[in-house]
Amino acid sequence: MRFIVLHLVLVASFFPSLIVPLVQAAEKAASSKPLPDIVLEIPENPRHKEYLGLAGKNGTDFSIRDIDADILVIELFSMYCPYCQKEAPAVNELYARMREISKNGPVVKIIGLGVANSQFEIDHFRDTYKIAFPLFADEDKKMFKALAGEGTPTFIGCRLKDGERPVIVLRQNGGFASSATFLQELIDKGGAHQ
Amino acid sequence: MRRKVFSTIIGCFLAIAVVVGNGLATNDTLHDSIYNPGHLKPVDSSLNVAVGEPAPDFSLPSIAGRKITLSQYRGKKKVVLSFVPAAWTPVCSDQWPGYNISRKYFDDHNAILIGITVDNIPTLHAWVRQMGSLWFDVLSDFWPHGRVADAYGVLRSDGTAERALFFIDTKGIIRDIVVSDINVRPPLETVVAKLAAMP
Repeated sequence: MRFIVLHLVLVASFFPSLIVPLVQAAEKAASSKPLPDIVLEIPENPRHKEYLGLAGKNGTDFSIRDIDADILVIELFSMYCPYCQKEAPAVNELYARMREISKNGPVVKIIGLGVANSQFEIDHFRDTYKIAFPLFADEDKKMFKALAGEGTPTFIGCRLKDGERPVIVLRQNGGFASSATFLQELIDKGGAHQ
Repeated sequence: MRRKVFSTIIGCFLAIAVVVGNGLATNDTLHDSIYNPGHLKPVDSSLNVAVGEPAPDFSLPSIAGRKITLSQYRGKKKVVLSFVPAAWTPVCSDQWPGYNISRKYFDDHNAILIGITVDNIPTLHAWVRQMGSLWFDVLSDFWPHGRVADAYGVLRSDGTAERALFFIDTKGIIRDIVVSDINVRPPLETVVAKLAAMP
């Protein structure tokens, strides 16, 4: 009897480490929610403009829903956030994998929103970490709030399909362990199987 | 035999708990540790120094175990003093990590950055460690409490410091002062512009 009690105490002591991650996993796998309509300015950088598939005049507004992609990742970051700084090389790796997979598979793209950052600050972040994908300043945190952001970095995966309302299919608070696994998860959840 | 089977099942359960737990646990320890004091009175002190005046000299202990004296940089480097209100608070915990990736702007203008709070060394040590490794010195103005902050006129009535920047030239003269709303981080471009404007 003492033997069983001892084991039950052991199990109980490990319970939080099991329950908490399961709750986190459940949050991550939360059911699809509509993507709020985020409006940004068409970037002046021609490579960014082409990457996003935008044809309008530089500096005019576009909706995030107009981005030419099957799946879009929105990274909420801040130049000041040490975790975003640490994660930057992994995000660059994710972007490279996205470019590669988009050649023959679903088109997966990424943009960054610099939360409470000025244009100067996001430019500095871009230069520091040699970031090739488009970054936009969210100086007044309007977009962060619209996307129900809680912290940085956060990665929000969205399905953008023609004729369908864009939906959020994945939300990752904090960094991801592997860019390959994260990309596969995005593709699976975005319903764009290769 | 039944004991063996029971032990094996429990062992597997614990192993799964540990693996799943570690794999999915958040790495956001700094954010999780931050104390949010809510919205504070934007500025709660009056400057005791002005642009064009000599910067009050001081010697304070750094978290690296050195004593840093402001006048040791006279004739050698421009100095930017960054006072932040307190360790483990929201805006402060972001401001210095931002400066940590901005060293080139200071180097370009032959300037160094010195971070100062009124926290004690052990608190600062733990807080700064969470940010990674900073390239600039972080000093403790803990005892006599806030004496340097008070000399500059940035000690608030609750014993914390203002969010303030002092730009000091190589002659030890204050060339610019920015006392920000404590709830808001001064933009990086402000720091860069003030650095560039220093003679």
